[in-house]
Amino acid sequence: MPGSVIYTKNPDFVQRHVAGECILVPIRRNLVEANSIYVLNETGAALWSLLDGIRSVTSIEEKIGQEYDVTAEQLHRDAETLLTDLLSIRAIQEVSIHDGSAT
Amino acid sequence: MVQRRKLDHLPDRFPLACQWEVTCRCNLHCVMCYTDCFNEPERIRQELPTVDLLRIMDDIAEAGCLELCLTGGEPLARPDFFQFYERAINLGFLVTLFTNGTLITESIADRLAAHPPHRIEISMHGLTETTFEQVTLGRGSFHRCQQAIALLLERSLPLTLKSTAMTLNQHELLPIKRYVETIGSVRYKLGEEIRPALDGSGAPFQFALQPEALNELHRQDAQLWNEACHRRRPDTSPCRSGMRRFHIDAYGVLQLCSGNRAQGYDLLKGSFQEGFYDYLPSFGCRWKDAATTSLFPPSVTHA
Repeated sequence: MPGSVIYTKNPDFVQRHVAGECILVPIRRNLVEANSIYVLNETGAALWSLLDGIRSVTSIEEKIGQEYDVTAEQLHRDAETLLTDLLSIRAIQEVSIHDGSAT
Repeated sequence: MVQRRKLDHLPDRFPLACQWEVTCRCNLHCVMCYTDCFNEPERIRQELPTVDLLRIMDDIAEAGCLELCLTGGEPLARPDFFQFYERAINLGFLVTLFTNGTLITESIADRLAAHPPHRIEISMHGLTETTFEQVTLGRGSFHRCQQAIALLLERSLPLTLKSTAMTLNQHELLPIKRYVETIGSVRYKLGEEIRPALDGSGAPFQFALQPEALNELHRQDAQLWNEACHRRRPDTSPCRSGMRRFHIDAYGVLQLCSGNRAQGYDLLKGSFQEGFYDYLPSFGCRWKDAATTSLFPPSVTHA
């Protein structure tokens, strides 16, 4: 997963804060997903909040690295795992880039 | 980092689940219904206006409530139903809708499919038109309910069918259960509790099954028998109503649960936070641990 990739949130997921936990609720779920909610840990929630369709993965990792005591390698590995998970549940999608600008 | 699971690290007292009786109005008049006594114009005029309903919904979302059960009366009988239903979905509630199904048309089914609920529960009180309509007192309701079930299944919406055991339908309960079992994705629930009407009348009890009849019913089905045996075990755990779950009535009054309306907090006059955290803990419930209640020993039925 190249660091230059940009992701945007799928609007069909609503972020909820429940008793200090960050939860993603799919609001267009099908029968299979009907009983599923997705819980992000603290750093996962921080990364989620920075997915804005503008920042690249590298830029997001740099921002999180300034706030958490974690090596760049560890952060990159964890971010990649989370983004893969979020892609698999279709909570995020990659933004196409044309002429250097995200669309 | 993404976990697909249920929440399990909540504080002891947290407003996780709400049952909201959004109206007592209904197009049917089921003989055992405890809200139908308030299904009349004067009472309906006192029900929450849309603007207040939406504000309270925002408040309970802000407080962290995740599970929202919309019940009635018949929720779809409110003209503003989709205003608050779609708001609830977009706020990220896991919405369960209790309905009689008879107002569900093709366009309403499409709209539900566009904003799918966590679960829809439809009351199915008979497998024949005669029995069904002896319960609902609504001519044509059987076929409209059947049609609604088909419309929801066509759209793969998560459906539960349920019946209340009564003298009128006891001979059809097992056939209903068998019928539902033939529909792969649909669950079945049998309710055995009949409650006094909200105006205090005991009229709904005239259709209640005697314990012997219920026992005979359980004996004919392994699952019902297991469930009945399980219920007979003494439950010494304190009631969780008011701890993780709460009830709001059609007039915006916050209560411990649907079966205990002895005390309430008016959400039109105060905030949800204050009602849930400051008032609900002091409300009496005979099922609660004695140490948590000090006001009075209520004589109420329990959900």
